[in-house]
Amino acid sequence: MKRPASAPAMLRKAGSHLHLLMAVPALLLFGFFFILPLTRGIWLSLTDWNGVSKASFVGLQNFVDFFRDPRALHDVLITVLFALGSAPLLNLFGLAYALVLDHEFRGRNLVRTIVYLPAIISPLIMGYIWYFILQPQRGVLWQIATSVNPAFSGGNWLAGPRGALVVLILVNVWQYVGMTMVVYLAGLQSISSEVIEACAIDGAGYFQTLRHVVLPILLSSSVKINVITNIIGSLSVFDVIMALTEGGPGYGTESLSIYIMRMCYGSFTGYSTAVALVLFVIVLIPVLISLGFFRSAEFEA
Amino acid sequence: MKRRNSVLVRAAAALMGITSAVPFIVLLRIALSTPAGMSSGRALAVPEFQIANFARAWELSRMGVAIMNSLAITASALVTLVVCAAAAGYAIARFPGKFHLAVLNVFLFSMMIPGIINTVPLYTLMRRIGGINSRWAMALVLAANALPFSVFLYANFIKSMSREIEESAIVDGCTWFSAFWRITFPLLKPVTAAVVIVNGLGIWNNYAQAVFFLQKPAVRTIPLAVSMFFQQYGARWNMMAAAATIGAAPAVAVFILFQKQFIKGLASGALKG
Repeated sequence: MKRPASAPAMLRKAGSHLHLLMAVPALLLFGFFFILPLTRGIWLSLTDWNGVSKASFVGLQNFVDFFRDPRALHDVLITVLFALGSAPLLNLFGLAYALVLDHEFRGRNLVRTIVYLPAIISPLIMGYIWYFILQPQRGVLWQIATSVNPAFSGGNWLAGPRGALVVLILVNVWQYVGMTMVVYLAGLQSISSEVIEACAIDGAGYFQTLRHVVLPILLSSSVKINVITNIIGSLSVFDVIMALTEGGPGYGTESLSIYIMRMCYGSFTGYSTAVALVLFVIVLIPVLISLGFFRSAEFEA
Repeated sequence: MKRRNSVLVRAAAALMGITSAVPFIVLLRIALSTPAGMSSGRALAVPEFQIANFARAWELSRMGVAIMNSLAITASALVTLVVCAAAAGYAIARFPGKFHLAVLNVFLFSMMIPGIINTVPLYTLMRRIGGINSRWAMALVLAANALPFSVFLYANFIKSMSREIEESAIVDGCTWFSAFWRITFPLLKPVTAAVVIVNGLGIWNNYAQAVFFLQKPAVRTIPLAVSMFFQQYGARWNMMAAAATIGAAPAVAVFILFQKQFIKGLASGALKG
């Protein structure tokens, strides 16, 4: 008994216009705690508000200030470099991990669990754990390195801004590789074994099958999800940097989201909302570009 | 993509497991050491077992209060989120009019906006409504942040569900709302699980918003309590590590208990998205 055409009409009759109310709680909640601050933030970004006294309109001055502030531009660079390091590495390792753990062997589930475990823990706590490992003198890695070779004793992974950034990227990749892996595993499992067997019958090797069959299938599902979430997540990075370097040395590893918080507390509230809008654009551009890329890739496939 | 019994695969898997496990082992090793046990040159010494560190760190960090706060905020945020998102997703999927299409588009667009962008104006709003240091306000903020993705998941899932059971319930005299509540909602379990797992983790671990909105010790969540403790007891690594272990333990315990659902929920949540 199939009546697809009459279904909405029937549902509608049964509830008259009540259905229009169903989205209302979500809209109210979202409107008040998301849309309202968003629009207010756009207004505040055009003022010189310091968080206490009355705000006055300054036009685009905050944005002009932003692009003239070397610290702000430096933080853009750090944020972008962090994302450029994190997102590709996360996808590369996530895929490699998934390919290995897609094989059947004893202990596979245990390894999957352990690999996923770091992603469960707050990035803040994770940052502190890595601090115990990487800190010079008392840090575990430092102690091991110097016991192997005393020449390491002058080494400090977090002292230079470049080195610290690399460490932050690696810690982030280490923590979230399980997350990307799970998404790739789900993608791999959605590929029917017949397709893979057909490739084997045609004489395709492992890497040939991977490149010409598996990756194109993954592209529209797993890769897309991972790339988009990694772009958004890594461009708004906050916790791991706060825990490991607090943006230091100086502001050498300060990301834009940390800059926003410091400016807000530093009574440059209006300015900090302007920075937030800049960050939004920085997130939006690569997201839209990759969405466009995946759309055209889907058409080709 | 399966090639069985390769030694290479097992070696790679072992390496992955060890890489992920080592920092946890280091954490426990430090948490169980005496104050002198982690000083320079002792990292490779015989491990100590100062279980009492945990009791002391628990007391000093007031982690009990923080765990209760994290529980209260996460639970109320998730209940609000699931009720609002399921209802909105249902309306969007089953009554695709202009209004609901607009609602969906608003949510889709907002998915691209990271929460941190809203934090400053939200802070001024919260101050005005007395929402600073309020667990309720914090829960509502976090629920609102998680809405776009959750509404999207529910709408997609409900679209793929057959209408027939709902219809027959209506034919049998059910109102449309009770058809949703009694028939459809229980069938949404897989999405609800995905929504709860994906967002629950983010809400439980939230720090970037909490550091703005929860300032009094009485309302502190776990990440805040841990970071405060670190600022106070920076030099006492064994205490710090013990506090971090306690802070991480609830999430790890829940993950190990509900592993299967976790992985499944995450994967289905991600792939539907």
